Amino acid sequence: MDRRSFVIGTAACVAAGPAFAQGAFPSHAVTILVAFPPGGANDTVTRPIAAALEPILKQPVVVETKAGAGGQIGAQVAATAKPDGYTLLSHNNGISGYAEVDKLFGREPKTKRGDFIPLARLVADPVLLLVNDQQPYKTVKDFVDDARKRPEAIVYSSGGLYGATHLPVAILEKATGIPKLRHLPTNGGGPALTALLGNNAQISTQALSAAAPHIKSGKLRALATFGATRSKVLPDVPTLKELGYSAEYYLWVGLFAPKGTPADIVATLSAALDKAAESEQFKSVVANLGVESSYQNAKDFAAFWEADAKLSDEAVQLIGKQA
Amino acid sequence: MESTLFSLAHGFAIAFQPDNLWYAFLGCLVGTLVGVLPGIGPLSGISILLPVTFGLDATQAVIMLAGIYYGSQYGGSTTSILMRIPGEASSVMTCIDGNAMAKKGRAGAALCIAAVGSWVAGTFGVIALTVVAPPLATIALKFGPPEYTALLILGLIFLAYMSSSSLVRTLLMACIGLMLGMIGIDNMTGHFRYSFNLTELGDGIGIVPVAVGLFGLGEILATPSHKVIGEVIAPKFRELWPSRKEWNQSFWPIGRGTLLGFIIGIIPGSAHIISSFLSYALERRVSKNPEEFGHGAVAGVAGPESANNSASTGAFVPMLALGIPTGPIPAVLMGALMVHGVSPGPQLVTDHPDVFWGFVASMYVGNLMLLALNLPLVGLFVTVLRIPYAYLYPLIIMFCIIGVYEVNHSIVDVWIMLIMGVLGYALRKFSFDPAPLVLGLVIAPIFEQSLRQSLIMSNGNYLIFFSRPISAGLLIVCIVLLAMSAMTFILKRKDWRDKLAEAEAGEAQQ
Repeated sequence: MDRRSFVIGTAACVAAGPAFAQGAFPSHAVTILVAFPPGGANDTVTRPIAAALEPILKQPVVVETKAGAGGQIGAQVAATAKPDGYTLLSHNNGISGYAEVDKLFGREPKTKRGDFIPLARLVADPVLLLVNDQQPYKTVKDFVDDARKRPEAIVYSSGGLYGATHLPVAILEKATGIPKLRHLPTNGGGPALTALLGNNAQISTQALSAAAPHIKSGKLRALATFGATRSKVLPDVPTLKELGYSAEYYLWVGLFAPKGTPADIVATLSAALDKAAESEQFKSVVANLGVESSYQNAKDFAAFWEADAKLSDEAVQLIGKQA
Repeated sequence: MESTLFSLAHGFAIAFQPDNLWYAFLGCLVGTLVGVLPGIGPLSGISILLPVTFGLDATQAVIMLAGIYYGSQYGGSTTSILMRIPGEASSVMTCIDGNAMAKKGRAGAALCIAAVGSWVAGTFGVIALTVVAPPLATIALKFGPPEYTALLILGLIFLAYMSSSSLVRTLLMACIGLMLGMIGIDNMTGHFRYSFNLTELGDGIGIVPVAVGLFGLGEILATPSHKVIGEVIAPKFRELWPSRKEWNQSFWPIGRGTLLGFIIGIIPGSAHIISSFLSYALERRVSKNPEEFGHGAVAGVAGPESANNSASTGAFVPMLALGIPTGPIPAVLMGALMVHGVSPGPQLVTDHPDVFWGFVASMYVGNLMLLALNLPLVGLFVTVLRIPYAYLYPLIIMFCIIGVYEVNHSIVDVWIMLIMGVLGYALRKFSFDPAPLVLGLVIAPIFEQSLRQSLIMSNGNYLIFFSRPISAGLLIVCIVLLAMSAMTFILKRKDWRDKLAEAEAGEAQQ
């Protein structure tokens, strides 16, 4: 892209602003609330899909960051937004667990899964079981054997309590029957990975896209993937399922509409999303992130979410309340 | 070394391509605007412009987006100096002496020193990045929770040097700050603490609303209550430049701030915020005239402004060399690189030499551009002070509200700022200094988390802080500093702090 087309592109964006008001949806700009800070998977995946949606909906699609409290603030704002299809939510695994965590603490849940209508799953990044290069483990079996022998010596890092990189460890503990390991919560995926690289934690479960560069450099080893199939990027890494452990978990990003959004608007939006997911722009961003194509339409995503949320509730209960 | 120079020359060849120069300029310009204008920070600036870069190649994208980041560090000091409003957490310290200088009619000098200090720091940072990035990056990884804890203990000890009021008042403010810092979700157990069922308080109280409220709003509210001098302090053009004496006073603080900022910037986490605090405290510790701080000490501007700039460059070291983001902004930049199919990490230099060296070289050029952009603007910015208070202050209040809202799109933050504004007014009336409160607020959550993380790692054994070399070293520095203070106490020598306390007691009796 040269400078001229850059300028033209910008001008076109500006011109698209005051489009004609029509009776049919959408008649003005659609806002997608991102419940996580800029730079995370939600932000990087939502921006290209928003850009691809604009020519399809023929309206501007604005991405607004509404981060905080582990994604709860964004979810709450979207849940209470006017259900007219003009406010959508980009969220991840976290949205499944808030109610269950609130239940654990005897708090009134602020948002429930029923508050949202799933529209589409944009990506699903398989979680890997990672160890750093100072650990002796070469296989899951090595790790499981050692964890049985001395669970108190192994620390795992996560991006936050009850978060999407904490729950898979609970799932793994259950599937392998190892005792509870020591948990080092940090402030997000990045810091959790840093803790692992610096050997302040010995293992961690992190998304493939975030861990791939460090696996390539040899600083981290992936013992197994929580994905259903082996990844094309790491064909040598076995799935937990083929090793005989029933554990599957992804870090996914999905789009939601608030409960009560009219069915025809939901249909318009999900059809537009299906089309936008086919765009070169979205596909290339997803490919560059190192995530395999894992878009799901509204119907498939609803079924996936149902099953995934059950898993998540169970994992929250397994972790239980901390001291 | 030779190969580094050769690669750097290759990088300059890339950076000097007209297109790349243009994108560097564009980034620096947007960065300056983002820094000067309250209401938009570098984080939102970069993420809004990220989709624009989809059509560019990776080098151009990262050159432009990084320009916004370090450019905003230049502009950030402007509102601090002129209006006592910190645009960002890292320019809180500049408010104190920068604004005091402006009140003495030295606004131009303060802005110039801030710009030159930023340039020196930025350029030094890039040189250090070129030469020592890979070995330094491995040290960054060694900086785990125990090291963090030790660093923050050092920060708490330095806190005693932060304030221009007596020790008792400083400690009182610091304690309030530390307690405010406890608000929010407890990361270790998931409990909401002191949040009054407001999810917005889950992440705790933000630094920006508190700092803007205490410094900016507090100042404005206090204005009508004291006599306003009718004459506006707008200096003549010749007085815009720092005097020879002011240059001399800023020479070493710039040097120290640069070095300190760079080292702290490398550490993963939010350490870059405390770089300017530590630099301020350090300057005061080594200064021959510590009582000048708070009343327009040149070193109080030069040190922290250099520190926050070299910290922002230092933050690139772990990002480029290890693929680890040190804070939210490097995280966005990493995201941008990944979107363009370049994965940051140890392989970056070998896999994508054009991106790496082009980016590094563009930072040399960008820092020069920023100096050229900012120095001529000094005259323009200073004319803002010619606006009578009656017109200027309502505008400032508006910008404060917009600016604070924009950080998190949160109305709760605006309320926090307004409440802090009233508190800031009260503190001013009773001559309390708000700076230790802000530092307490910055330190509390990080300190608590790293302390508890360390104890998880060691299974509850406190010896972990002494068995790891870096944290043991930092703790020894702490002990030495405390011992030195104890000596003064034992020898019953009166230092500047006692004189302050006596003066305050005298005031109370009158």
